[in-house]
Amino acid sequence: MNFQSKANKYVCPNDRQLSLRSKLRTGWSAARSEPPLTQNEREAIAAVVKRAEKVDEVEARRVGRLVSRLEGMRRSASGPAPRSCLLCGETSKLLAPLRTCSMCQNTACPKCVIDTPPHRSPIYSRDQYMCNLCAETREMWKKSGAWFFKSLPKYILPDRRATGRYNDTELAKSLQDAGNSSNEGKTDSEPGSPLSIHPPIFSRQPSNTDSRKSISSAKDHDWTETDILSHGVSGLSLHRTDSLNQRPLGLKRTGSKGSAYSLRSIRKEVPKPITQVERPPTIPDSGFGTLEIKLAYDNGTSSLAVTVLRARGLIGMDMTGLSDPFCRLEVIPREGTYSNRLRTKTVHKTKNPEFNETVHFFGITESDLSTKSLEILVFDDDKYGCDEMGSATVALRECLKSPAQLRLALSGASGTEPTGPRLLLALCYSTKRRALVVTMCRAAELPAQDSNGYSDPFVKLHLDPDPYHKKHKTSIKWRNLNPVWNEEFLFETRPTELSRQNLTVTVWDKDYGKPNDFLGSLVLGASSKGRRLKHWMDCIKFPDHRHEQWHSLTDTQHL
Amino acid sequence: MAKTYDYLFKLLLIGDSGVGKTSILFRFSEDAFNISFISTIGIDFKIRTIDLDGKKVKLQIWDTAGQERFRTITTAYYRGSMGIMLVYDVTNEKSFENIKNWIRNIEENASADVEKMILGNKCDLDAKRQVSKEQGEKLAIEYQIKFVETSAKDSLNVEYAFYTLARDIKAKMEKKQEASNPPGNRSGVHTLNDTDRKRQPTSWLARCSVL
Ligand SMILES: Nc1nc2c(ncn2[C@@H]2O[C@H](COP(=O)(O)OP(=O)(O)OP(=O)(O)O)[C@@H](O)[C@H]2O)c(=O)[nH]1
Ligand SMILES: [Mg+2]
Ligand SMILES: [Zn+2]
Ligand SMILES: [Zn+2]
Repeated sequence: MNFQSKANKYVCPNDRQLSLRSKLRTGWSAARSEPPLTQNEREAIAAVVKRAEKVDEVEARRVGRLVSRLEGMRRSASGPAPRSCLLCGETSKLLAPLRTCSMCQNTACPKCVIDTPPHRSPIYSRDQYMCNLCAETREMWKKSGAWFFKSLPKYILPDRRATGRYNDTELAKSLQDAGNSSNEGKTDSEPGSPLSIHPPIFSRQPSNTDSRKSISSAKDHDWTETDILSHGVSGLSLHRTDSLNQRPLGLKRTGSKGSAYSLRSIRKEVPKPITQVERPPTIPDSGFGTLEIKLAYDNGTSSLAVTVLRARGLIGMDMTGLSDPFCRLEVIPREGTYSNRLRTKTVHKTKNPEFNETVHFFGITESDLSTKSLEILVFDDDKYGCDEMGSATVALRECLKSPAQLRLALSGASGTEPTGPRLLLALCYSTKRRALVVTMCRAAELPAQDSNGYSDPFVKLHLDPDPYHKKHKTSIKWRNLNPVWNEEFLFETRPTELSRQNLTVTVWDKDYGKPNDFLGSLVLGASSKGRRLKHWMDCIKFPDHRHEQWHSLTDTQHL
Repeated sequence: MAKTYDYLFKLLLIGDSGVGKTSILFRFSEDAFNISFISTIGIDFKIRTIDLDGKKVKLQIWDTAGQERFRTITTAYYRGSMGIMLVYDVTNEKSFENIKNWIRNIEENASADVEKMILGNKCDLDAKRQVSKEQGEKLAIEYQIKFVETSAKDSLNVEYAFYTLARDIKAKMEKKQEASNPPGNRSGVHTLNDTDRKRQPTSWLARCSVL
């Protein structure tokens, strides 16, 4: 219930279903002038949208491969050092002097640079070089479509089926290692730092949490691409868990606390039996996990009881690869403007939540059962805006005759742009300036605080922790709810530091003679989650590129 | 191993109902033509991978319904499109006049970086022609958009149109990248005021005169 009041403006901006519904004009944002679509038309459109989701997923995996390739290169690079090659570590030779990369200014040997022939302007006619790392980054920028979308589009990392956009422990660790070896920044692992508590975890790797039941074979880990494509994309598919099939869920991707280390030892201890009698069922899912529910209809009270049992293998949303999931349930299509949304409680710090919670929908007729569906969206609970982690839809006719227990494959959120009060900002880590460059581009749909129906917004921003205690402010845009600033701010920092810093952005309405009104806030950084964390990590991973993204503002004023 | 591609370009076809958007896409993706008219419901898309200068470019081409009642859903697809084909029917003057409205629609809903092209379709129907080629060219010059007359039926200029649009997107991509880190500008940081905002009336006309 309390969710409903929260839901209207600030929460769940990337609600794919909502946007789809608005596209299909069955929801609140329906344009009244256009006649409603028929059932058949809606189904035809939904089928196209579903087909497009498959294309999107293939694309997300391709971009994921590009990203991981680059990460691999970066990991295996020797790191910047005077008089030696950034990539291979080779020192300067008489016949092969080191070159300076025109992008990152580091030195690299002739084998690890490419010539960038001068173009257009003959002024720069002397030789220009670019190190392979920078060249590859540029190539990735093109190939991923980031050149057009102005930031990396969503991607799914290969192999471990990690949804790389959220889980960056590995990177964080490697950054920290890099810091250690090159004496950059302080690297002692303070307890409480998000990077030091957990050993590197891959979000999609198996762990020891349920090792008794885990008979995962090597095949379960090394999904080939065709496996994923043939099984993975049936996003909305439904899988009945009848008693015969009531085996433990495939645990191949549980990973709440296990470390890569403990995992290896377990694999040794539990060798794969040659004739495996009880093979965990392969659950076709799109890498977004599965959800188990029970449906029971009571025609005496016209009520539908939905028990959300558990979810498995949800995507990780925070730096440690864990999430704080809750489910939002709704019977669709909705009738009129009356919305009947229920939610479960949040289970914290897990990818395999046990909800065991029953919610009731009242006023469901028997004819509803044959025509309506239950839509379940899994969100990550976060005070700075809840990101959708996956969704599933199930026809109510499943429980027409008798209660049903079902296992649903979750399909991923397609990451629609936020709506409501929001901020467009660009992050760029400049290796040249050794600083994080934040461009405060614009805001949209800010709340009106003044009696004239407007606000006079400006933005304050600071990094936390920041040894320089830099605080920045934009100019004030008078009487404007959709202000455009395009103002740039610099925070001196190192990539190693960035991976444990947070950028706090607050929007204010300028008032004279009384305190400024608070309009909204946003935190991007190491302790943020979901798309905010992705934005931050993309900025660290791909320095010297501008990463521009919209973010919802939250109405909670922290600090 | 699934065959992969180097770039994914998303294209969009818009224009009044019946001008032949679906037919053009059908010609391009299946190399076939259907004389009967089945008006598109909402949206649809087709995939075709083409080769541009040795790079595999996967084109995801969205076909939209021209009918007004699908407008809400179709405009939702403008934003992610890198290239848009504006189609009119040379035997239907109204569809030509409406191109201006479609352009306004693009300005309101699409990315500022979107590449555009105007197609005057059904140029095989010379007897029924209401819009001359010169009228089409004039409009194109006015808006600085490339233009070509096509026939989905006779398979005229359809390949050319898609290849041209894809090539323009690729050229823009390369130009953007060059501009983002030109040798000499070593900051690596670009501000908003660089090429993002600059719209050069470049050599499009020169290239257009080839038509
Ligand atoms: N002679 C001729 N007929 C064409 C050509 N292109 C399309 N047509 C015919 O025009 C009619 C409409 O074509 P469609 O492609 O379905 O039109 P559309 O633009 O997709 O229409 P909506 O989906 O309603 O927006 C069909 O009967 C086609 O056979 C062409 O190049 N020449
Ligand atoms: Mg059509
Ligand atoms: Zn080298
Ligand atoms: Zn470099």
